[in-house]
Amino acid sequence: MRIKALLALFALLVLLLTAVSAAAQETEPPEGAKIAAAQVSGFDITKLSPGLQQDIGKLAGTPLNRQLLRELAARLETEQPRYVAAIRTTQDADGSARVTFVVARIRDQDRDPNINSKYIVDTVEVKGVPDRDISPDLRQDLQTLTGKPLDSDAADRLDQRLKSEFPNYDISRRTSRAKEQGHINVVYVVTKAEWARWLRFEPIDGNALFHSDQGWGAVLPLTISARDVMVLPVISWDTADDLIEEYSGFGVRVESRRLGTDRLGFFFEWSTSDPEWREPTLLALALNPQIPGAYGNRMSVTPLLKFAFLPQLSVAGGVGITELEPLAEDLLIPSQMANVAIGSVRYHQQWGRSSKNPAHEAGAALTLRKGTSSLESDFSYDRYVAEGDYVYRWGKQRVVVSGMGGRITGAAPLFERFTLGDSRTLRGWDKYDISPVGGDRMFHTSVEYHVHDVMLFVDAGSVWDTGTEKRVRFSTGAGFTRGPLFMTLGFPINTDEFRAVFTMGFRFSITSTGVKKY
Amino acid sequence: MALAFTGSLAVPLEPQNVSIARANNNEALAVHAPNLGFIKGEPLVRLKDGRSVRVDLDLMVLPGPGGTAVARARQTFVLSYDLWEERFAVTQAGTPPRSASYLTANAAEAWCLEHLTIPITEMGKLRDAPFWIRLEYRILDGNNTAERDDAGGLTLKGLIDALSRRPKESGPTHAVEAGPFRLRS
Repeated sequence: MRIKALLALFALLVLLLTAVSAAAQETEPPEGAKIAAAQVSGFDITKLSPGLQQDIGKLAGTPLNRQLLRELAARLETEQPRYVAAIRTTQDADGSARVTFVVARIRDQDRDPNINSKYIVDTVEVKGVPDRDISPDLRQDLQTLTGKPLDSDAADRLDQRLKSEFPNYDISRRTSRAKEQGHINVVYVVTKAEWARWLRFEPIDGNALFHSDQGWGAVLPLTISARDVMVLPVISWDTADDLIEEYSGFGVRVESRRLGTDRLGFFFEWSTSDPEWREPTLLALALNPQIPGAYGNRMSVTPLLKFAFLPQLSVAGGVGITELEPLAEDLLIPSQMANVAIGSVRYHQQWGRSSKNPAHEAGAALTLRKGTSSLESDFSYDRYVAEGDYVYRWGKQRVVVSGMGGRITGAAPLFERFTLGDSRTLRGWDKYDISPVGGDRMFHTSVEYHVHDVMLFVDAGSVWDTGTEKRVRFSTGAGFTRGPLFMTLGFPINTDEFRAVFTMGFRFSITSTGVKKY
Repeated sequence: MALAFTGSLAVPLEPQNVSIARANNNEALAVHAPNLGFIKGEPLVRLKDGRSVRVDLDLMVLPGPGGTAVARARQTFVLSYDLWEERFAVTQAGTPPRSASYLTANAAEAWCLEHLTIPITEMGKLRDAPFWIRLEYRILDGNNTAERDDAGGLTLKGLIDALSRRPKESGPTHAVEAGPFRLRS
């Protein structure tokens, strides 16, 4: 410790002597002389805190106060513990003073706050990208870390240079023991950033929520994922947020976003659920016999292949096989198949500021589900859904604009019919009041403004059946969100009745619209 | 409920066994919080990867629970983990920087608290009155782990990250309040 102190003292003395010897040949300005300029030498001033930068900048034009200068130098050393600062003042011909903070790095290796700086670096390795992809300069500089004690500053700078050379990658650094006692190895791990992947894992609307008209429900996914593969068991309890039916069940989703290449992936989902039908739905079905009826257990299998043309643009295609068992009281009726061919186009783009916190983010999807007898389906229909959302962030504020529209031709089973009036669409309305059996046409738009944890929204939309009256409904309200926790209070606007719908719960999804993706 | 969440910027810690003591020849107030536990989770992983972690500790003397600070001390400490000794080292930023090494995690945390004191003269009237202590810590260094996966899903880490108010780069502020205390004359 004594040696360390002596070395630090020595560095400081060298600086002071340099300053003093230079000053001896120049005139020392008197206390109170007007400061013409103040600068920092030997250190990038922009690395200091804004407050300290400002205080140093404000010295110009003020009377020379050496105590204040000493305080500023002390603040600089506190902010940059590996540096020492000496003050140099000189007098100009007009009698004004010039102030320079001479800053120098302390060479004592033990002053590096990382205790591992006493160990010798044996090897430096970059994992995750081939050596040939690293520029020769950087490769050479990486090797300069070897054979001497760890310089954490230099290692940090190399971190930054790797980030510059591989902007679409995340860089992490790991240091571990080498074989020889007192020696260490440094490894930089370079992995493709999530946002830069060609294919993304499909979002799922995981939630546990309460709707004042529809009650409690939950869809709880448990993510088990590696870099390219995800297995997602999902349990649903009494959820009525996305379909006409209230259902409970479970399922599992398996996804890979790399099949030999980053551009090709697959998606497989199996699920089984037992719906419960609300009274308004059963009554409406009785009045509308042209709509396919209620069913018992619903079991689905959905295998898809996905291909990315660009990181922003991908397509998916496959089939959805669904078996609908009859209700318990209709056991003589055979189960029905609702098999569809699925095609989908996805777009996602983000830009502005940093990749991890983009200023703008836009997404869009167009999905077609086609039920046809050639797939042994008992239902013949086409279902189109287009949806898009855009997010703009600045500071603590955020605007989210989303829209979707859908159309069904033919007789689609109830789980395919569109609904609005849940925790994300027409907030303030109840889907069982709007259309208790859903509709075959739908559009919905929503604008949300978030500031800190508070959110205001306006929703507009309509769901109807072909040939019936299309009524556009509006709602507005406010909410509170923090991470997955949310609460909203929505009010329908164009209605004679004053009412409010309260929703609260947890939501683990990043999708802003409520339509299922495939 | 909403007000309760918006009113608090810090993640409250579990009730701590916080006690106070006089330090620096009875001229300063120090605290002991043996279960503070800031060397854990992501910072601990980072430390065991041989990297350093900066932590900001903020000690405040309050006239009552949730009150405005009458006196405070803030210090930045740099932690690192000796890969060969398998012990922690701490450096207190400042002039001259002070440091200690070959410490267990608990000892490293205790060392930080030992060097975070408030001069008793700054406590004003609370020198002779009951007061509360608020102790906050914030991990300043970000982590370099990959971003969160796109998929929704219930993961404990995701839940903790999501509930944390501040972005990962600066880390949430954790806080504990304890009291009332009174200085013995």
